[in-house]
Amino acid sequence: MSVKFKTYRGYTALLLGLMCLCYGCSLGQEWSENYALLPGVTASDPSFIDGKPETIGESQRKKGSGNVVTDLDIPSEAIIHLPEKKSLYRIVIHSTNLEEFELMAFNTRGEWDKIHDQRSNKEPIIDIRLNKAVTTTGIKLIVHRTTEDAARRRENVQIRRENVEIAEGQMRRGRYRYYITGPTTALAKISEIELYGYAN
Amino acid sequence: MRYRGKLYPISAVFSRSFYNLMRARVAFVLLAMMFVFTSCAALEEAQRRREKRILEERDATSLMLKPSKAEFKVREDGTFESDHYTLKFAEDLIVHEGFDEAEKRELFAESALGYMESLYDAMNRLFGFKPKHKIHVTLHHLYRGTNLAAYTRTDYRSGMADGRYVKFVNGIQMDFPMRMYEKHGVRVHELTHAFTNIYFLPVWFSEGIAVLIQTEYAKGGLHPKFDSLAANLEIDLDGVNQLESWGGHTDNDPLTQWRYRYSYTLVAELWERYGADFYIRVFRLMEGDGLHQKLAGNMKTSFLVYYFSEAAGEDLVPFFRKLHFKVRKLTKEDILKQIEENRANRQRRRRQ
Repeated sequence: MSVKFKTYRGYTALLLGLMCLCYGCSLGQEWSENYALLPGVTASDPSFIDGKPETIGESQRKKGSGNVVTDLDIPSEAIIHLPEKKSLYRIVIHSTNLEEFELMAFNTRGEWDKIHDQRSNKEPIIDIRLNKAVTTTGIKLIVHRTTEDAARRRENVQIRRENVEIAEGQMRRGRYRYYITGPTTALAKISEIELYGYAN
Repeated sequence: MRYRGKLYPISAVFSRSFYNLMRARVAFVLLAMMFVFTSCAALEEAQRRREKRILEERDATSLMLKPSKAEFKVREDGTFESDHYTLKFAEDLIVHEGFDEAEKRELFAESALGYMESLYDAMNRLFGFKPKHKIHVTLHHLYRGTNLAAYTRTDYRSGMADGRYVKFVNGIQMDFPMRMYEKHGVRVHELTHAFTNIYFLPVWFSEGIAVLIQTEYAKGGLHPKFDSLAANLEIDLDGVNQLESWGGHTDNDPLTQWRYRYSYTLVAELWERYGADFYIRVFRLMEGDGLHQKLAGNMKTSFLVYYFSEAAGEDLVPFFRKLHFKVRKLTKEDILKQIEENRANRQRRRRQ
């Protein structure tokens, strides 16, 4: 009886220990400071990392071929470089028009790995918890869609008839053609990008 | 004793060989450890170099800026001000959505000046100097009837200093149509003008270096380089390179695009040949002499080539002559003599 009792007590102690460990882990894990505000951090637009939510930066279009039609599909980007490697678990993006985007992390081979894919968003503050820690020196946000894309398309894509002059004063109505006068997507407006790991 | 004596040599031989073996082994282990430590250090060094190279490559793909600590305020006349800029919105812009309310304009101005201040700090680090005056930026919907061209103007006046006429920069004005302001490469291009035009540079060099910085530093260039300077040369009827008669991007000329590309190719060629700090050395020499302020009118290419040659450590007149520039070899004495002659001529004319 006493032996059985002792075993039971041992299991209880083990269980309690595990519970304490779990509790301690969950209690002890606090978010680190925002790494984006550390000295030496750079960004493609400094408004992302100035700690002022009222200033708004924009993603940038990567240099393309120079041809408007060829460059239509090139997404705009927002980049943050850290001066040293940091383990990231949480990324918070403050944006008023960001809808669809990807997050990439710079790896040790000098390439960008995809760490998050967001297909839709309606929130002005996007709080992303990563499934696993990402140790990196850079984060890149690739913008696929914003809420202002449609307005930009209306502004810069025009449909006009290609009329042909057949005789003096006489025009033959031609087919409709699309004229692209500027970018057909809007840049993402981002006020802050916050990067967090766990506090030591 | 006999027994022991018989055994002694065997054990002695054994122990000696064992000892030798152990000594060799210790030496071998020591050698191996040294090798491992050395290779570890070499590996660590290689790893460190690789990481540094990867970070350099990472930094070379886009212009990255640090946030500025500049102060932002709104003046009584509605102009926005920061440490190195003033910003205002033109009448034709404030009727457009996004700029039609004072609150929206203030929000935009604070963000825009934050970016421009960060860019200013980055350019200051790059060049090692900065203009003394605040830069006055005006944002327009259309400027001079178009939304496809931004302008930077450096105004100067002549005044007396040490009994001589010298040119002083009066103010720097930037005008951006919003469509141009949205392009970060254009901002860098125009800010390069604001920084370098304090030296009253010839137009071709001013535009060439602005495209160079826009393309190589800010990764936002729009003008591709030519493959060869000699093969793409354009000369006028006097046999002079068409860059020399360039009056700036206000010229509506079929040669304008060629001029941008050619001046960029030329400036980049010297940059590649004499190092990334070549133009910084040129500007430092100009600043040290201060002769650009004493010259009458705009700076001539011969004057510029004198400083190029000084910074490069070799005579670049033949290089420019080969490209059909109308240049002559100058020494500092020639330049000083020219300045003195100009001064004497001015005084003589005044007496007449």
